[in-house]
Amino acid sequence: MTRWSAVIVQELLCTVRERLPQLLLAVFVGMIAASAFIGSSARSSVTGVYQEALRQGLTTVANPFDSFSPLYYARNTVIYIVLIGALLAIVIGVRSTLRDRQARTADLILSRDVNLSFYLGSKLAGLALFVLLVLAVSAMINIGCISIVAGHVLSVGDSARIAALYALAGLFMLPFVALGMITGIRSSSATSALLTPIVIWSVVIFILPLLGTAAHPVSLLNPVSAPPASGNGFFAATSSLVDPLSLGEQFKHVAALMLADPQATGTMAGSIMALAVFAVAVCTAVAMTGRKRMRRMLHD
Amino acid sequence: MTEMLTLAKKEITELRRNRLLILLFGFLALAVILSVVVASADFRLKIADYHHYLDALKAAGSTATAPAPQLFPLQLLRGGMEYLEIIGSLFAVVLGTSMITKEKGRGTLALIFTRPLGRFAFAGGKILALSLVWAATVGALFLVIVASLLFVGNAPLQGSDYLRLALAGAHTTGYLIMWSLLAMTLTALARRAGTGLILALVLWLVVVLIIPQIGDTMDPDNQIPGGLFASLQVDKSHEQAVMAHFTGYETTRDLIEQTSVTKQYERATFAYLGIKNEYNQQPLASIWAGTFNNTLWLLAALATSVSTALLSGTKKTILRKAP
Repeated sequence: MTRWSAVIVQELLCTVRERLPQLLLAVFVGMIAASAFIGSSARSSVTGVYQEALRQGLTTVANPFDSFSPLYYARNTVIYIVLIGALLAIVIGVRSTLRDRQARTADLILSRDVNLSFYLGSKLAGLALFVLLVLAVSAMINIGCISIVAGHVLSVGDSARIAALYALAGLFMLPFVALGMITGIRSSSATSALLTPIVIWSVVIFILPLLGTAAHPVSLLNPVSAPPASGNGFFAATSSLVDPLSLGEQFKHVAALMLADPQATGTMAGSIMALAVFAVAVCTAVAMTGRKRMRRMLHD
Repeated sequence: MTEMLTLAKKEITELRRNRLLILLFGFLALAVILSVVVASADFRLKIADYHHYLDALKAAGSTATAPAPQLFPLQLLRGGMEYLEIIGSLFAVVLGTSMITKEKGRGTLALIFTRPLGRFAFAGGKILALSLVWAATVGALFLVIVASLLFVGNAPLQGSDYLRLALAGAHTTGYLIMWSLLAMTLTALARRAGTGLILALVLWLVVVLIIPQIGDTMDPDNQIPGGLFASLQVDKSHEQAVMAHFTGYETTRDLIEQTSVTKQYERATFAYLGIKNEYNQQPLASIWAGTFNNTLWLLAALATSVSTALLSGTKKTILRKAP
């Protein structure tokens, strides 16, 4: 085992043993499992409402769920990845570097002939592996639950789309892991280490979309997007500025296309590029951390 | 009583000097102002669209008219109130946690308890300080809200609007104090300082985001962009007739939402500010009749958080758990 693979394995083991990320993980996996059943309940109610409206002669339009795909049941999953997945990523990232500072192991490791960029890169690789394992398990649970709700085993094509969604979730969560690692290294206290990336997350998820589309913060929790504000004047200017930075909306856009949402239009390339650029930028920032930063004392 | 006041005074002095908290409150004020800017820009676009529509009708030789969009100033606050609901409560959690972690981190916890304090003086002082700090902060935030409505949103406010804003401010103060006290309780009970913060964050995640999200997702009208009933071309009066056949489902959905104190807060404040259309421009007595249960649930949650903070902030509990 090389020293780098030893760091990866150590990081993986420490993260698995941490009780508090386990709590968030349980909430995440639990909600992923529940999402298919919540979707099923919503769909039956819509069908019921449509049939009642039809019976009362109030509508003549076709049932909006006529051409519905079992992938509809995975739409809530996207929201849980944006909310719980990103917070889980932040917590494990923060805990990873704070652990070194609190236990003073950073001093010990840096007394050896260790390339800091490789060390932090290996830690990040260990955490990325943990996130991928969590997402792989979540994907299997999700496919299983959707199969139960749909009453048949999902087709290979549909399963591949769900697998692609979770691969994209990995790309979405990775920069939040790295962001957590950075604040864990740079903050003067454990509280600000955890708080800073959460504030950045709240800006990216709740504030930037409002500036570009006038979407209300709570409506962003609904998998069905609100109609955007008029695309001229104020919002044309703000959306061109903030849309590439609204990573939650970029992720939701690609996820809607992957899940074959009939309302979703456009292409995936731009959004995937925005997510990838953010991931590369934050991971590079982790690798560029200086030795002195790692050895600073915490004030709480 | 004197020692409680002394402790509260010490807390307020420390909070006033905490740069991180001042930054967070500045951030919250900025988010609220931005939401008013965006809401007023959105309204101006609606007015422009309306004029274009009228011009198009005139050009086509039609004499038909359409009602102009009406500006209800307090409705511009929807985004801002949702920020207080989500981000404000997050900051309240951090503030509540820091009330205990700073004492543990500096080692002053054991020192304070060497003094002859009453059983609940330590927690009482912190609760009093938190309440005063939140009352002052929310008061300042609502002054910012009024200023941004008047000067950014260019929206004229009537006398009753100020009363409605004061009622929404009182609900917001109670809601934020409750979150700070819950976080303080969890941190006092936790063995490690970080544990309390993460437990409080998980609770925040479930109560503020997940439960309302489940309730929102189960709403049939939220299943189609623009609304299910709009897509089926069913108007509001017939919508109620259809939904009368789904009372069991709606009751379950409502119960799920009601388990979240955030929803209770949202329902009450949205009603007083007229953001919820059914309460817009209604007399206060009628709004109280429709939402008093939400206010009472919020008060019950606040009372619970005060009690748990008092009980967990005793010398026996805190020092037993100190590392």
